[in-house]
Amino acid sequence: MKNSTDKPVKKQGPIRFEAIVPLAIVVGLIVAYFSLFFDSHLRRGLEYAATQGNGAEVDIATVKTSVFKASVLIAGVQMTDPAQPMQNRVEIGQIRFRMLWDALLRGKVMIDEAVIEDVQVATARQRAGYVLPPEPEQAEGPSATDKMLEQMKQEFSGNVVGDLAAIAAGADPSGQLKVAGSDLKSGAFLDELKKSQDEMEQQWRERIAALPRSEDFNALRTRLSKVQTKDFKDVMQVQASVKELQAIRDEFDALSKPVGEAGGKLGGDMGTLRTSFTDLEKVMREDVQGLQARLKLPSLDAATLSRALFGMDVLGKLQQGKGYMEQARQYMPAKGAKKVAPKQIHKGHDYAFGRPKAYPAFWLRRAAVTSTLPGGKGLSGEILDVATDQALTGKPMQALLKGNFPQQGINGVKAELLVDHRKEVPLERLSFEVGSYALAGRTLVDSDSVKLAFSKADVASGVSGELRGDKVDLRMSSRFGAAAFETSAKTTVVREMMAASLSGLDAVTMDARVSGTWSDLDWKLSSNLGDAMVKGMGRYLQAKMDEAKKRIQAMVDAQIGEQRQRLQARQKEIESQLKDALAKPQAQVDKLRAELDAARKDLDKRKNAVVDSQKKKLKQDAGKLLDKWR
Amino acid sequence: MTLLLKQLFALIRLLNSDTGTNQIAAGVACGLILGFAPMLSLQALLVFVCMFLFRIQIGAALTSAFFFAMLAWLFDPVSHQIGSAILEAEALRPTFTTLYNMPLVPLTRFYNSVVMGAGVVSILLAPLVFFGSKRLIVAYRVKVVERFKSSPFWKLWSGTSFFKWYATYEKLHG
Repeated sequence: MKNSTDKPVKKQGPIRFEAIVPLAIVVGLIVAYFSLFFDSHLRRGLEYAATQGNGAEVDIATVKTSVFKASVLIAGVQMTDPAQPMQNRVEIGQIRFRMLWDALLRGKVMIDEAVIEDVQVATARQRAGYVLPPEPEQAEGPSATDKMLEQMKQEFSGNVVGDLAAIAAGADPSGQLKVAGSDLKSGAFLDELKKSQDEMEQQWRERIAALPRSEDFNALRTRLSKVQTKDFKDVMQVQASVKELQAIRDEFDALSKPVGEAGGKLGGDMGTLRTSFTDLEKVMREDVQGLQARLKLPSLDAATLSRALFGMDVLGKLQQGKGYMEQARQYMPAKGAKKVAPKQIHKGHDYAFGRPKAYPAFWLRRAAVTSTLPGGKGLSGEILDVATDQALTGKPMQALLKGNFPQQGINGVKAELLVDHRKEVPLERLSFEVGSYALAGRTLVDSDSVKLAFSKADVASGVSGELRGDKVDLRMSSRFGAAAFETSAKTTVVREMMAASLSGLDAVTMDARVSGTWSDLDWKLSSNLGDAMVKGMGRYLQAKMDEAKKRIQAMVDAQIGEQRQRLQARQKEIESQLKDALAKPQAQVDKLRAELDAARKDLDKRKNAVVDSQKKKLKQDAGKLLDKWR
Repeated sequence: MTLLLKQLFALIRLLNSDTGTNQIAAGVACGLILGFAPMLSLQALLVFVCMFLFRIQIGAALTSAFFFAMLAWLFDPVSHQIGSAILEAEALRPTFTTLYNMPLVPLTRFYNSVVMGAGVVSILLAPLVFFGSKRLIVAYRVKVVERFKSSPFWKLWSGTSFFKWYATYEKLHG
């Protein structure tokens, strides 16, 4: 293998001394990277992560870091509002903080004091921000909560007021009744009921046919008549009769048992069928309600109208709160929270092995929110103890912010937030108030028949809520003072109706409360605008609505009523026939049982008499014997 | 890139020579640890420093790191299971608590299930891979290189004037 002409190989030691220069070059390159490119790459990384969290584009103008000071400066943060991409949800002038090297060496981030300056809300963007598409549904399908919230969304986004206006404008909702009423649920229910009735009748006829016949009972009666019940000569004869009587009784019990059971079961089965007819009434009511919904015949009541006008607002706040809650519970898990499987298996799961006074993975002890807006206005407050492990820090996260946003005309903002994940049941409590803000052009109803909007109003609103584990308690109230409305309608009657509804209404109030668990929420929503619309629209609509409802009810009755009556009559007939068929064996059972009881009683009496006479005789014989021996 | 290419050519040259078996085998073992560890972690940095400081074949390390990284990615679910089992072991909890709160050690990200699982597997496999690759290199030299050199094609090729010129050039400048 080795060639004699090969160069002699210089013997080398295990340490590569000649690598000092390449190593120095590598170190130099790393230093150059951190000096020239790291800030820019970090800015892009932060933008990406914040965009994922916000659900819409987040832009950061500048990021400056210092490795030796472990400090970061982030300036010009713009968070796009996903609902309005031309607007920022929040804009922050500058964020400055320093991290502790002691914690960084342990792979943790600990910030003693951060400064957040020049916070503004609802600022205009130069261009529309990119909004992330909604996350795909989970493989196991939507959760019960998602289903419920989607159902509420569908209910609230339905155009109830528009449908009412269309009726007022002359639309006859019951016009399409024949088409809509062709597939009633109660029809299918009736078919099922008839099937059950036929099956039950068949089963009972077979069961009754299998019951003991008259001959069986007569045979027992014949045997009973042959049992000796008097003129006993000795106890042996009595015992033979008792034995035979018991045998007959046992056979009787075996024969009468199915008869007795059938009597009880028949009552139960017939009761079930009768209950089915009550259920049919319920299904018919559902059909009527379903038809009303399909024909867009809404209920003219204050609660429905209030939900239609403001339900989406409340739902939006609730969903927003749920989103923040889920993020808080993901990044600040409660003590002993269930370990969830990592979303991406390649990322694995991070375990925490903290001990008292140790650093959690992230801890921002205090962030001072200050304002640099002219006149000292703007937002001010503080955020305390944002930590990934509250059980370790022993402190809940708290935030208190108050101030004004004069550029946006928003005054009297006060927000208090408590996120307490120190115990097993996580708790989030929020209180948010806005003293006043000017509202312009907010749409309440937008349909072909009618449009209704606040052209302007001075709004004061408040939200308070508590989320504890799976429980929800959210309250919302808004007051739209000095309200001016903008309405437009195609027909005169709808215009008149809307004018009548809104006449004299210069302040609108809305109060909502959502409580319960995430999968079963109880909604209470009321508004004086809903009340006013009921009064204003009722005059124009009530008669038409009642008429349409009557027609729907009549249609359902016509389709189902006759069949139902037929089935009910058949039900009675079957019940009567089966009871009659069962009455005969039952009577025989009763009669034979009475005879057996009487025979037994008689036999017992005679047996006792025989035994007594035997005892007396024995006593006399014993006396005689004793006399003889004396 | 030049450094990397130079290392790769050196790897081929070493593979086909009689020397450097330990260097290549150590490189493959280092590549295993590198491939199974996260790119930005303390252990990856330590392996890099070792590769530079000691006479470990960097080309072999980087090539095998690329190969083992793909293998590790495929086995991430298994690594997660192994890592979770280790990190959840009650007996090891005090040790992990100490390590977790020590300076520098958390920079290895040992507290992550995938990192822990892959790390343990790579450390356990490293000696096996080292000795295994040594044997494979020797076998390669005997069964592939020798046979190739005794093949008519090689004999024909080594007799060409171009090959002779290149051999002389290699002797003088290589």
